Amino acid sequence: METTTFEPKITAFVCNWCTYTGADLAGTSRLKQQTNARLIRVPCTGRIDPLFIIKAFENGADGVLISGCHPGDCHYNTGNYHARRRWIMFRELLNFIGIDEKRLHFSWVSAAEGKKWVDVVDEVIDTVRKEGPFLKYKNLNKQFPVPSEQILVNKE
Amino acid sequence: MKEVLISYNTIKETVAKLLNKEWNVITPSPDGIRYTAITSSDEINLAGDQRPTNISVKEFFFPKTDPVFYFKKNQSEVELIDAVLNDKKNLFLGIKPCDAAGIPVLDKIFNWDYKDEFFNSRVNNSVIIGLACSYSDPQCFCTSVNLSPDSTKGSDLFLIPVDNSGFRLQVITEKGSAFLKEFGALEETSGPAHPKNSTVPDKKFDYDKVKNWLDNNFQSDFWKGKGELCLGCAQCAFVCPVCHCFDIIDESCGYECGRRVKNWDACQFGLFTKHASGHNPRNDQSKRYRQRINHKFKYYDDKFGEILCTGCGRCSRDCVAGIDIGEILAEINTF
Amino acid sequence: MPGLVEISKEILNNKQAAYIIGYEIDKHNRVKPFVAHNADEAERLTFNHHALNNLAVYLKRLPKPKEGKIGIVAKGCDIRAIVGLIQENQVNRDDLYIIGVNCSGVATDYDVEFNPENTQIKCKYCQLKTPAVYDVLIGESEEFPLPEDKMGDMMAKIEAMTPEEKFTFWSEQFEKCVKCYACRQVCPLCYCEQCIAEKSVPQWVETSSSVKGNFAWNIIRAFHLAGRCVGCNECERACPADIPLSLLNKKMGMTAKQEFDYSHGMAIDQPTLVGNYNLKDNQDFIK
Repeated sequence: METTTFEPKITAFVCNWCTYTGADLAGTSRLKQQTNARLIRVPCTGRIDPLFIIKAFENGADGVLISGCHPGDCHYNTGNYHARRRWIMFRELLNFIGIDEKRLHFSWVSAAEGKKWVDVVDEVIDTVRKEGPFLKYKNLNKQFPVPSEQILVNKE
Repeated sequence: MKEVLISYNTIKETVAKLLNKEWNVITPSPDGIRYTAITSSDEINLAGDQRPTNISVKEFFFPKTDPVFYFKKNQSEVELIDAVLNDKKNLFLGIKPCDAAGIPVLDKIFNWDYKDEFFNSRVNNSVIIGLACSYSDPQCFCTSVNLSPDSTKGSDLFLIPVDNSGFRLQVITEKGSAFLKEFGALEETSGPAHPKNSTVPDKKFDYDKVKNWLDNNFQSDFWKGKGELCLGCAQCAFVCPVCHCFDIIDESCGYECGRRVKNWDACQFGLFTKHASGHNPRNDQSKRYRQRINHKFKYYDDKFGEILCTGCGRCSRDCVAGIDIGEILAEINTF
Repeated sequence: MPGLVEISKEILNNKQAAYIIGYEIDKHNRVKPFVAHNADEAERLTFNHHALNNLAVYLKRLPKPKEGKIGIVAKGCDIRAIVGLIQENQVNRDDLYIIGVNCSGVATDYDVEFNPENTQIKCKYCQLKTPAVYDVLIGESEEFPLPEDKMGDMMAKIEAMTPEEKFTFWSEQFEKCVKCYACRQVCPLCYCEQCIAEKSVPQWVETSSSVKGNFAWNIIRAFHLAGRCVGCNECERACPADIPLSLLNKKMGMTAKQEFDYSHGMAIDQPTLVGNYNLKDNQDFIK
């Protein structure tokens, strides 16, 4: 009997000017990489609201990767600096809530770093694969069907 | 009205029997926050001197999020699936009179031009045993809205504590009588009953006088200062046993399925009356506060003959800004 | 509070202030917010250990006066919120007349008697018993014994849990949420004209009180206040379902302190956490 091994779904938010171009370079260079990541292109990592990360988890992502230009190289000068500050705060918050930090990854990948992109994506996919499917968030989605009663039981 | 004496132990045994038969037994939680279902008969809470819970019993009949139906997309077709109505039986034990009285009041709106089957099925599956109240604080005013600490309105059976020996159990409705027949080993009668002293809240205002003023003073300057301190948090509507405004929205529960739900809403929210054009007829908090008072003490009475308030005082206790509805009505009473 | 009524009457009479936001005590001994528009109403102003509300929240809700400033009675934690609003250009310093009050702790709730050993937990962490910014300062500051560190214990307990346990803990808490948005309404720093939760096209945050929507709402609110929350704890006091919201905001406050040595609202000219960046910010978690 064939058993299907779990393949994680990774959502990657990447900045247009650096990482997306780098990923493109990895493609044109015919570098081999795993295909579990779906890229979402944003103009700059500064555009990324942590709400995007939550929505990704809500909609079934097992892991999230965020990648942008190296500090100093941002196309808009300072976008990635602001983003970096936000990520420091947001990582702690998600950790506190119980979302494992192994599911949320960040990287700086420039437009010339096709090889680095492949390495980063492979590493993230392998890490998340070891963690398993993100069932607890997915199970929050199991609202269908549900009886119309919501009775809270005394919890001591 | 039929009345029997019943001991605390008999109540415990009956509850244990019901739990075995898969009934839900619901009492006020010991921390006083809301009503919760218990898992053993040791957890019964029949303390009549406890403060009314923060959140009322309304959430069992009109939940904060209530799915109406689900829809699923199969290729190009859409399948509609009705929400499953839970047919488990419920026993509400030790409900405050100011909570129980809310059920018949809500019944009027939920059976007005449309019969709300969700509400009705929940009420039909429930037996409500009220408990006479011996708590009173400055925010209570049940006596001003035609109720009292031993009012039996809304209850099927009613318990009045008797000095250390148990309770007097009054049978109020047919449903209560049928419940007793099915589960009662309850034909104990002996001796005279001594009702415990209950503290009765002072009457804060004369309802007819207030209603008369409300009928004639919509444009009064009185309302101007009233909304100043209100933050529009709508807790007053959410904790109230009879506030019933709701919003209906569609939301997804996955990529190919969704559901339509009723969610609690409140007239104190800024967006409550905002039109799609951007115009908002109640664009400041004093107009919204005026609406709250008028709906509860005038419009609902005009339409259904019931006061949309049971005087429980939760809104005043929970209000962060300390706005006390009893005091406002007492002020109107002086005009 | 000696001096409060006199100063209030004076600034109202000489039209320096159009109205004063303060506290009054009603006939049931409950201290609540009150706006005094003239010298007669100013007689009712008071301040004591039950002045719990953070009045800074009214600065954005009451109409701006055509003439004169807005007077406000504020203790240390409230003034942090006012400073936060000034830094974010929501009010001008020149439009305010701040009556700072030396505070020695407040009670846990309006109907709980004040006990110096049982003040609100936020008082334990208070860094501003004497306010930093004010136009006039009244009241005597008394030292009081620090209350038990219940919040610190709770935080340590949660930090020690595994991710599974943390998630289960928060799922149970967020199941109680009724999405009343009271936490947002009472927060002085939640002043957005259109909150992200109110945006319906597209809908970012589910409005039903299902656990999924409650997670998103509470995480987003905690994050939008990261580095901006002043720890006044009104959100937790307002919550009807008793969810320990202060833990989330405290976690963000602790992170801000640890990583950036930052506390919001201490001085008007202090550069804000979220509005600035440093070239040397930590990046060892970034590949």
